[in-house]
Amino acid sequence: MNGDPAESRARLYLWWSRLAAMTAKELIQFGRDTLLLIAIAYLFIFDIYMAGSVSMQLNHAVVVVHDADHSAASRELVYRFRPPYFKLGGEVLDNREGQRLLDQGQALVVLDIPPDFEHDIRKGKPVDVQVQVDASNTVLGFLAASYSAQIIGQYGFDQALSRLGVTERSIQNVPMIQSQHRVWYNPNQRDAWFMPIAELLTVITIMAIMLPAAAAVREKERGTIEQLLVSPLTPIQILLPKVIAMTLVILLGTAVSLFFVLYGMFDVPMKGSLVLFFAVTTLYTFTTAGLGLYIATLSRNLAQAALLAILVLMPMIFLSGAWTPPEAMPAGMRTAMFLSPLYYFIEMGYGILLKGAGLDVLWDSLQGLALLGMVIFGFGVWRFKRQFG
Amino acid sequence: MKIRRIVALAYKEWREILRDRLFFALAFVVPASLMLIFGYGLTLDVEHIPFAVVDHDKSAMSRDYLHRYIDSRYFDYKGDVASEREIEPLLADSRIRLAIVIPPRFQENLMSGRAVEVQTLIDGTFPFRTSSSKGYVVAINAAFNGELLGSYISRRLGVSAETAKAMAQPVGVQLRYLYNQEVKSVWSIAAVLMMFVLMITPPFLTALGVVREKENVSIYNIYASTVTRGEFLIGKLAPYVAISVINFLILWLMATQLFGAPFKGDPLFFLLASVIYVTCTTGIGLLVSLFVRTQVAAMMLTVIVTIVPSVLYSGLLVPIASMDAAGQFEAHLFPAMYYTDIVLGSFLKGVGLEQLWGKVLALLIYAVGLWTASFLMFHKRPKS
Repeated sequence: MNGDPAESRARLYLWWSRLAAMTAKELIQFGRDTLLLIAIAYLFIFDIYMAGSVSMQLNHAVVVVHDADHSAASRELVYRFRPPYFKLGGEVLDNREGQRLLDQGQALVVLDIPPDFEHDIRKGKPVDVQVQVDASNTVLGFLAASYSAQIIGQYGFDQALSRLGVTERSIQNVPMIQSQHRVWYNPNQRDAWFMPIAELLTVITIMAIMLPAAAAVREKERGTIEQLLVSPLTPIQILLPKVIAMTLVILLGTAVSLFFVLYGMFDVPMKGSLVLFFAVTTLYTFTTAGLGLYIATLSRNLAQAALLAILVLMPMIFLSGAWTPPEAMPAGMRTAMFLSPLYYFIEMGYGILLKGAGLDVLWDSLQGLALLGMVIFGFGVWRFKRQFG
Repeated sequence: MKIRRIVALAYKEWREILRDRLFFALAFVVPASLMLIFGYGLTLDVEHIPFAVVDHDKSAMSRDYLHRYIDSRYFDYKGDVASEREIEPLLADSRIRLAIVIPPRFQENLMSGRAVEVQTLIDGTFPFRTSSSKGYVVAINAAFNGELLGSYISRRLGVSAETAKAMAQPVGVQLRYLYNQEVKSVWSIAAVLMMFVLMITPPFLTALGVVREKENVSIYNIYASTVTRGEFLIGKLAPYVAISVINFLILWLMATQLFGAPFKGDPLFFLLASVIYVTCTTGIGLLVSLFVRTQVAAMMLTVIVTIVPSVLYSGLLVPIASMDAAGQFEAHLFPAMYYTDIVLGSFLKGVGLEQLWGKVLALLIYAVGLWTASFLMFHKRPKS
């Protein structure tokens, strides 16, 4: 490289123009497949929009009541199972009927109020209310149980206070803790802020692995790779344009879905710097594209590549922290999580969009991603070079 | 329709699959590994929530109160901070997800019979975790309040601690979790994972297998042959259905033996329902493959019709009952939801055909619909 500066500049120019030409070739080839374009537009727009309608809250769960008391007190308790969490699904005459409704999935909760409920409360004799919850879906079962216990606990507490003659106004004079919750970043706990972001990050991940892998394997499968290899292109010049072209596609899709769906439809606050978000997305796409290239070197045809991609993708999507809390994972899995680039991307994505976190806070995640990116991408390129160099 | 030709085609396809060693191996490795990884890793239990404390009181009582969080397995104590201002960066960096602020004169106020306000700051980024955390906080507060009220009553009315306690908490709750007594998420997850894995892998196997024939134009051999449309489709798909049924058996064994999920239902009924389901999912792959010309497009389209709905609309993570109308509509469009009910019914509830016939019927209609659509869409003389 210590020759004539003009010559080395010309060589550099040639290198970059080849790269640009190959990138253009990838984009043109990509644009020809109309169905693929439609599929990708669907994923970035409609799919993310649909994700906004999904929620993990308890929503009008059906409660049926077996009320053996039929008193004012029991009615008051039953009346507290209200929307939006619960919905009264009527009364059953015996427990067997309740069991049948649970079996068929027509009710989630069966509330069983014992005879002499009101009488016992008046007498100051403790009574137990039985709550049966269908826990076959743990998320719903857990929430339903927790809310039912809250409602009944509050009811008991109110009963105790009213027996003591405590009113709304004198409640300050009872020693008790009044719990004040303040939820940050998503004060109304709107799932429409959480889900579409999770879905967008998922879609980016799927594309960043599958598209470059497919672009590379396709050349192998059709044999067009041989043409490229006999051309004056270096392996990097063959490889990098595929990643660059797919990154451009992904960034464009991300921008559309960020502005039109997340911001336009769901009012996601976008607190942090968007420049930072796109920079992180680019880094992330390159990192995961490295995984895609690695897959491409392992497989001879697309069917193999797709199966390998699934094997890598699914654990990444599910175990990177959007769905499963990292704190609650078994120790070994938690360590494995730190090897997933998506883990850092989720931290930063939510951090930037919802929490308004800047580089100062996200610095360690960024470092983690950059380090992983270099290792993964470097490894992918090295494998590719070894195979075709 | 001649059986002999179908057998010949199926045999040819089988040989082709067998020859592609990596593909053949992956067809079994992928489902089993997904089951293994998710079975151990996919937990929706919200536990060990990292939290920090701002204790302005530092009294015996505030420590007693805080220890209810520190000693709970749901919370993970990360230390004290001096003021509210230090909480924000910790929450922003996800080092903690919850913070408790105890006001000054906490003990003094409670001792002299006044109410105090304790503030809980919760990270709302992941709404499901937020509502679970809130539930724990409310439960801890309710228990603490019950005790406070008990000792207050006993002081004010001069009754024994026992009576006072009964008066403070007149109504108890007996919770019974049905079907999954310990609310072990691995039980329901292992079962539901069968649905998930069988939703994802068969369509990929099928779609790519069929489109490959189209893309490298060997399908013209079929076009030119005497094989009829129906024979081709059945012969082509039989090996993939067979692979998926074997996978189903492996997954079933893993769910019951490895993860200890109880199987209470009728094995024969479950097997039959699952074969119908697998026929559905391979049918999805077939239909996708008839739509597209390239394998890349087949891959992305399969992602759309399998991965996305099985993540969001199958009931694996997100309960279908808590969706709004649009979400529920979408959920009903995919077979995953019906099979989830069958799987959970067979595993945890022990119900059979008489309760689940509706779901089986839905799957059956779905399978027949898919295959009919494929039959109508597949032409031996394609346009252009």
